[in-house]
Amino acid sequence: MLQTAQNLADVMKRVGRRDRRAFAELYQATSAKLYGIVFRILGERAVADEVLQEVYVKIWERAADFDAARASPITWMAAIARNRALDEVRRRKPDVPALGRGLDEMPDNLEFAAATDHPLDARERSEELARLMLCLGGLEPNRREMLLLAYYRGMSREALGERFAAPVSTVKTWLRRSLAQLRDCLSR
Amino acid sequence: MTPSDDIDALAAEYVLGTLDATERATVAARRSREPALDRAIGDWEVRLGPLSTMVPPLVPSDGLFAEIERRLDRAAADAGGSADTRLVDLTRRLRRWRTAAVAFGALAAGLAVGIGLRETAMRSEPRSFVAVLQKDAASPAFIVSVDLDTRSLTVRPVAAEPQPGKSYELWLINDALGTPRSLGVIGQEPFTVRPALAKYDPKVVETATYAVTLEPQGGSPTGKPTLPPVFVGKLIQATP
Repeated sequence: MLQTAQNLADVMKRVGRRDRRAFAELYQATSAKLYGIVFRILGERAVADEVLQEVYVKIWERAADFDAARASPITWMAAIARNRALDEVRRRKPDVPALGRGLDEMPDNLEFAAATDHPLDARERSEELARLMLCLGGLEPNRREMLLLAYYRGMSREALGERFAAPVSTVKTWLRRSLAQLRDCLSR
Repeated sequence: MTPSDDIDALAAEYVLGTLDATERATVAARRSREPALDRAIGDWEVRLGPLSTMVPPLVPSDGLFAEIERRLDRAAADAGGSADTRLVDLTRRLRRWRTAAVAFGALAAGLAVGIGLRETAMRSEPRSFVAVLQKDAASPAFIVSVDLDTRSLTVRPVAAEPQPGKSYELWLINDALGTPRSLGVIGQEPFTVRPALAKYDPKVVETATYAVTLEPQGGSPTGKPTLPPVFVGKLIQATP
């Protein structure tokens, strides 16, 4: 089913009015995207299944608060999904690496083209991605990789410290500096 | 550091995901009574949000939606508040606690293995790279996404205006190759290059310059660029 950001916003509006059919449409159009996001962070099907259910219940409850002027529907939903997945991964042992788990469940032939051409990634999103990538390109490769690992894999400061052989306090400083640099670059 | 810097840094790390469990809980509680923090979080979600579009979709198992609908039905029934449904809910919660306890045991057992597998796991998934082709910093025109492992490339027009009677053509430029190699003519729709890229060494693909020239309709007749590039860019890592 093809969904542009605009008609997804319309579907969301209907969900906000407690329209269950619209909710089914929303799930149909967005669940693979959100599942991809939470699975990368959690690394385990069973946990990702549970989290995805909670995420959609939350989306149902909060749909009326969705404000199209502030964010696209998918950005808003992805934020809810990431927050829930991150809470879960932090609530478990702080240092359990999500990366090793679920290895054999990870499909090995992910279609990259399908990822970038996903109907949700309508062209209007491309410009923001282009600007963000340019700003990320301005960071040192190590710092950039650190941000990406945190964002996509939910790696904690401890896990990043281990990976980049740096004390946790240094990781925190690097992260905050990189983020500030990113913010300044994006506001130009 | 001013308090507003502090709030912004906290919001940024909250959205990035690097706060620990306690810090996350504190931020979640604070945002409901601190509009400035809530706004800062929303701004960071929008700033970093485009990264989510790079995540490959993964179809959840069948039956998950039916389970979600059951949860909504139960929540609606609970709102009705009969003693019966509350009891059902308690039983359900007890079951979930038991499942969680079992899961934790399994998790602990898997921990040792998990650490050993980490590095392998990092490499088992395609890393993706993105090049933003631009004339100058203010005018990104095309986004080129590359999956180095499968060596497939997707190019999407961002703000390139179609030129009547002309075609945009994408080139791979690397000293190791000598002359620029054509990767094809770009239309207004995204397109994917697979075989063309597969014959190049990953190192070449990763370090190459990607350039777009404006050629006669249908692409360069000579197989070489006929004019200097209009848009150029190099790859930036987009997913780990």
